[in-house]
Amino acid sequence: MSVAPRTRFNRGASAAIPLLFLAIVPLQKGIDRDRVRIRASEELWLRSGKLLKAISMGYGSLLADIYWTRAVQYYGSQFETGHSQFTELYPLMSIALTLDPRLSVVPRGGSILLSEPNPIGAGRPDQAVELLQQAIAANHDDWQLYASLGFVYYWYMKDYGHASQVYLEGSQYSGAPIWMKGMAARIAELGGSRDTSVMVWSEIYQNSSEPRARENAKQHLYALHAQADIEALQKIVDNYRGHIPRLTSLRDLVEDRVLPDVPVDPAGYAYVLDSSGLVGLNPSSTVRLDILEPTKHDKPTQ
Amino acid sequence: MMAGTVAINTFREAVRDRVLYNLIFFALAMMAAAVLVGQITIGIERLVIINLGLTAISLIGTVMAIFIGVGLVYKEMEKRTLYSLLSKPLHRWEFLVGKFAGLVLTLVVNTALMTLGLAAALFYVTRAFNRADASILVAVYFILLELAVVTALALFFSCFPTPMLSTLLTLGLFIAGQFSTALREYGRVAHSRVLEVIFGTIYYLLPNFHNFNAIGAVAHGDAIPRALIVHNTLYALLYIAVVLLGASAIFANVDLK
Repeated sequence: MSVAPRTRFNRGASAAIPLLFLAIVPLQKGIDRDRVRIRASEELWLRSGKLLKAISMGYGSLLADIYWTRAVQYYGSQFETGHSQFTELYPLMSIALTLDPRLSVVPRGGSILLSEPNPIGAGRPDQAVELLQQAIAANHDDWQLYASLGFVYYWYMKDYGHASQVYLEGSQYSGAPIWMKGMAARIAELGGSRDTSVMVWSEIYQNSSEPRARENAKQHLYALHAQADIEALQKIVDNYRGHIPRLTSLRDLVEDRVLPDVPVDPAGYAYVLDSSGLVGLNPSSTVRLDILEPTKHDKPTQ
Repeated sequence: MMAGTVAINTFREAVRDRVLYNLIFFALAMMAAAVLVGQITIGIERLVIINLGLTAISLIGTVMAIFIGVGLVYKEMEKRTLYSLLSKPLHRWEFLVGKFAGLVLTLVVNTALMTLGLAAALFYVTRAFNRADASILVAVYFILLELAVVTALALFFSCFPTPMLSTLLTLGLFIAGQFSTALREYGRVAHSRVLEVIFGTIYYLLPNFHNFNAIGAVAHGDAIPRALIVHNTLYALLYIAVVLLGASAIFANVDLK
């Protein structure tokens, strides 16, 4: 090729290559859409953490970090679909924990993601218990793991007997905060009271380093707070309606000086009174009361 | 036309170099698997044979594409046969396209023979074929598309000075291409718009070999969507065109004196 045709060829190639790369973008997007339909069967090939540890040649800790990152990515991608059962979440976390039993973020953060009902989590508190028990077997003196396990028993499984027992057991280890003993006694005495729930969610919120777990705890605290407000307001409304049946909104209570102002929920939205006389959340509120409902997967044992 | 002659000669040379001897290894592996699988697994014999067979086809093909591909141009330059070739009415880009087509032909023949071996092992284990087994051919087709892209990359890097460097670069890009989807996910979870854009761009620039992985799906008897077959074919053709165009532009400027 002489110099002139060579230059022409190079110019043509320089123009064509970026254009062809641009054409790849929509094609790749199409492939990404197509692949969603065959993704379910290809998430996890090696399910044995022990086998992986054996072939990791001493790099198990790094592999554990990768598996945990993979688990979080998997959770994020499945969460986006809005209808996932998160079937590979437990094996991914269990493998990460087998590879590095001291990676405490796996059982502590993972147990919440596994326990939360669909579509937020896998709705499998039984798997969360398995994961935490696996972690406790390798770190039997880590009080935080007992606190997490007690929480799963308490909140998701409504198994107050086990919850109290686990909190008590964890309270005996060095570094365990004083409230764990109190929690054990309180759960044993009162079972699933709202105050106890606020205590356990507050503990999760204050001590969790996993952002999703903290956000989840905050949402539950908001919901518990709102639930308490609604119950108190409903009592006031019912009482007031007995005297004056014309009550149509909470503003009427303010005008009659029963309330100083219309109360707002933790997200800052004013509570409302519907036409049937029931107090509820403002439709625009971001607080969700439905997250306080027990999981469908497990039956309370108490 | 000249590119076709180069392609046939490249294929003949590969056969002369006993490249297809790898088939003996594959055949032995499949025979051993077929005999052993019934004894070491329960209920997943078909799954194991398909996973093992397709993985072996993919791995053997990738090794061939990389290690033969990086030497395609370098060998001709080292043996000085390139000079006599280019003294004929043959454009440099035709030479590259011919080399590419020759190695792809070798890989197609090799893969076809290995697929026959896989089919034989599968028949030995299951004693019958079913409709779902047809999707194995789609997975094999995807492997061939992947091998063609790897060959184009190896050929691109074979225009560089040393085969060692070419091998490392091709291998590096092959590994990066396997994880390109993970790279994009890292960008998404980084909570940084800048990182998301950077990783997103890398995602589209790198060859996405994850596109061609259907082994797990077909082993579980899943049907492969027709749209994916069309999209993957177009993707491979487009990517190969980009890489060969780049290789031709570089090779056109290589000083052969």
